[in-house]
Amino acid sequence: MAFLLGFHWSWLLGSLLLGLAAGWIAVVHRGKRVSKELSRWLAALALVLVAAALTRVVPGRPGYWLDLGLSMFACYLAGCALGSCLRDWVLARGAPAA
Amino acid sequence: MHGPFKWSSKWWPGVIPLVVLWVVAAWTDTAPLESDLAAQSAAALKEIVLDKTRITVAGRDVTLGADAFSEQGRRSAVTSVEAVPGVRRVEDETHLVPEAKPFVWSAERDVVRVTLGGSAPLPASKSKLLEAARAGLGGVEVADQMNLARGAPERFDNAALLLIDQIGKLKDGKITISDDKVSLSGMARDIGGREAIAAALKNLPEGFSVAANEIKAPPYIFQAYKDPVAVTLTLSGYVPDNNAHATIAAAAARKFYSEKVVDNLKASVGAPGGFAAAVVPALGALSRLSTGTLVVSDREVKLSGDALYDAAANQIRAGLSKDFPQGFQFKADISVKPPSAPVDATVCQQLFSELLAKGTIRFESGRADILADSAGLLDGLIETALRCPAANIEIAGHTDADGDDASNKMLSEKRAQAVTDYLVKAGLPADRFTAVGYGSTQPVAANDTDEGKAQNRRIEFLVR
Repeated sequence: MAFLLGFHWSWLLGSLLLGLAAGWIAVVHRGKRVSKELSRWLAALALVLVAAALTRVVPGRPGYWLDLGLSMFACYLAGCALGSCLRDWVLARGAPAA
Repeated sequence: MHGPFKWSSKWWPGVIPLVVLWVVAAWTDTAPLESDLAAQSAAALKEIVLDKTRITVAGRDVTLGADAFSEQGRRSAVTSVEAVPGVRRVEDETHLVPEAKPFVWSAERDVVRVTLGGSAPLPASKSKLLEAARAGLGGVEVADQMNLARGAPERFDNAALLLIDQIGKLKDGKITISDDKVSLSGMARDIGGREAIAAALKNLPEGFSVAANEIKAPPYIFQAYKDPVAVTLTLSGYVPDNNAHATIAAAAARKFYSEKVVDNLKASVGAPGGFAAAVVPALGALSRLSTGTLVVSDREVKLSGDALYDAAANQIRAGLSKDFPQGFQFKADISVKPPSAPVDATVCQQLFSELLAKGTIRFESGRADILADSAGLLDGLIETALRCPAANIEIAGHTDADGDDASNKMLSEKRAQAVTDYLVKAGLPADRFTAVGYGSTQPVAANDTDEGKAQNRRIEFLVR
């Protein structure tokens, strides 16, 4: 993991920033939500992919691409969470003042 | 949902650019990542002795193929690559180098090249042997047909290096190490090469032994050429040592009374036994020829040339084989020189005097036995006598002044008679010769020095 971080830090940072932006927007976004059922399926898919990565069942380049994709996705999720929290906090501070 | 995840249902719009980002990252980074891992894996294997190392990287998975020289080396190669940061899986395709039993290595020399074949224990020793062969054989093509194998005896490298030195001394041949046994065959390049190789084999590392040494030596050649035009005797080829050289040079000087001896002989080991004992009588036979060549090749003595008269040719053909040490073969190709034109008595006397001025008929000390060294001179005198068939000749014996007059006179008479007998035996009519002994009554030099005495001890031919 340390090697992936070292080698791909720019891409991971990009994913984090992308997540930060998506999370920031999500708080005030009025668009469509992902249904709960779909969320569960997506979570299950993510778990399967993580399991596949950890058990190293996917060989060669696809295995590496899976690791890379999951690392970037994890950074994206972290960015999203951070972004949403920040926006929520900013809004909460702004509301009483208004 | 609580905390930040309560907005997670609205995080999906960023996933599309994320996927694009992922595709671009995979597109640009896969090749650099793979070459980085390949370089690091190769660096990790640097200290481990392997042959035919192949590293292929797909993503973060490394396929390692190599021939290892021990089980420990094989395992440490795999673990070293596994320890490279970033490597996910190692596909182990390593093998142990096969074990050779018996462990055979060979060096073969033919006309144009030296071929190293068989097995070498490690890549380093293989290249060391090749390098030594190239350096030691200067200019000769060295072909490498060595495989790598386990099972070499201890100190193999030292033994092989010593044998590579020996291959340079061969004209052609093969040297083989089979486990700890060394076999050699072929032909040495130079006289003495066989002996030099045999001496070097004594330095083989401990544990190695010579199973067969069938190196042959090139023929040991001695040549002598009598040139009647230049009046020289040219000696060339080899003699075993300085003593033999001195013996042969002295014999040549005694037997060739008028020729200048050109000595191009070199000393070298490898002579057949009894070499000098064979060369000396052969030189005696050559001295009797007007022109001729003597070649002694190992134990074969070849003499060719022209004798001065028929009886001499027959004597040379018949007489020599019994003079040689055992084991020597004598081949004579003797023809007879065409007889020279007859001359009158005055010229005959002149020719006798010229011959006897160049050389002296020599006898055993105090006796009337003619020494074999004088055969060439006597042949010259006989040839001259044949040219003046009408002349009667007095053969006069003289001594120095040592001893009493009566015995000196007796000895001089006996010696003159011995010479007469020799001429008659060669086919000249006995009635043409009168043997007279003068003792010490007609000295030609003072008898107070050894030199003077030697000049006084003489046989003279006087045409009457």
